[in-house]
Amino acid sequence: MEELILQLKQEIIKVLNLEDVKPETIADDAPLFGDGLGLDSIDALELIVLMEKTYGIKLEDPARGREIFKSIRVMAEYIHANRRK
Amino acid sequence: MPQSIKRYSYITDRLALVDGKTLPVAAAEATEEGNFLTLLYRSLGIDYPKFFKMDSLSKLGFLASELILKDESPRFTPREDVAVVCLNRSSSLSTDVQHQASIQHEDSCYPSPSVFVYTLPNIVAGEIAIRNKLLGETSFYVCREWSAQLLLRMASLSFCDACTRAVLAAWVERFDGVSEAFMMLVERDGLSGIPFSAEHVEMLYQNTKTQNT
Repeated sequence: MEELILQLKQEIIKVLNLEDVKPETIADDAPLFGDGLGLDSIDALELIVLMEKTYGIKLEDPARGREIFKSIRVMAEYIHANRRK
Repeated sequence: MPQSIKRYSYITDRLALVDGKTLPVAAAEATEEGNFLTLLYRSLGIDYPKFFKMDSLSKLGFLASELILKDESPRFTPREDVAVVCLNRSSSLSTDVQHQASIQHEDSCYPSPSVFVYTLPNIVAGEIAIRNKLLGETSFYVCREWSAQLLLRMASLSFCDACTRAVLAAWVERFDGVSEAFMMLVERDGLSGIPFSAEHVEMLYQNTKTQNT
C-alpha cells in the first residue's frame, strides 16, 4: 500500500502540474480538496481520467469522487480494491 | 483628454522587456520550450500556483500583464473600470493540437480536462482578469495578422463604456514556433505617457520586436 501511495502522489503531482509540491509534503490523510492541496473541479476531472488511464477504473458516477478523492490514502485503498491494470 | 500608454511589455520564449528595457532573465538556462516563461515567473517572485496549470498562451498573456501591473497600487482590489482586450492570429491552436492528439486514437482516447479548458483563446483574458480581480470587459479577437490599427480600434471601443478608465490591450500569439506577447496599459486620462495612436503602437511593437532579433 505504501508503494501505491507514493506512486499515486507522483502521478498526481505530474498530471495536475503541482510544480512546487513534493511527494513527501503531501500527507497521506490530508484532504485533497479545500484546505489540503487546494485542488479544484478541473483537477477532480483529471483524477477521474488518471484512474481510468492508469488503473483501468472507470468511475461511472463522478459524484462518487467526493468520497474516493477524500485523501491520498482513501484513493489508494479504492484503487487497490478495484484496479484492472 | 487623449488616451495614453502608461506602460508596455513584450515577451517571447527567450526575452522579456518592460518599457523597452530587457529584464535580466537568463534565457540560456531555459533548456526546454516554455522553460523561459517559468524562469521569468520565478524571477518576478510571483506566488500563484495556477500559473503552472495554464497553457503556454495563457502563460504568455499572464506574465505580460504581471510585468505591467506588478508595481501598480493598489493591486488585487476589484476593479470594474479596467478592461482586457487581446488579439492574435492563431487563436488557441497550440493547445487545440495537443487536445486533438489525445483523442486521435480510439483505443487510447484520454482527453485531459485541464488541457481542454484552454482550447479557447479568451481564457487568456479570463486568467488575467481573475488574477487581478478585473471586472470590466474581457475580449479576445482572432485576426489575420498583427495590426496596430486593429488593436487600437478594439481597445478604443472599450473606452466607449463610460466606466472604463483603463485597458490592458495585447497581442498574444503562440503557434508554429512563434511565442510573442505585446501588452500595453492604456489609460483614458493619462497625464503622462505615450499617445495611444496607431503610429505609436506600431513603433513600440516594432522597436521591442527588433530587440528580439
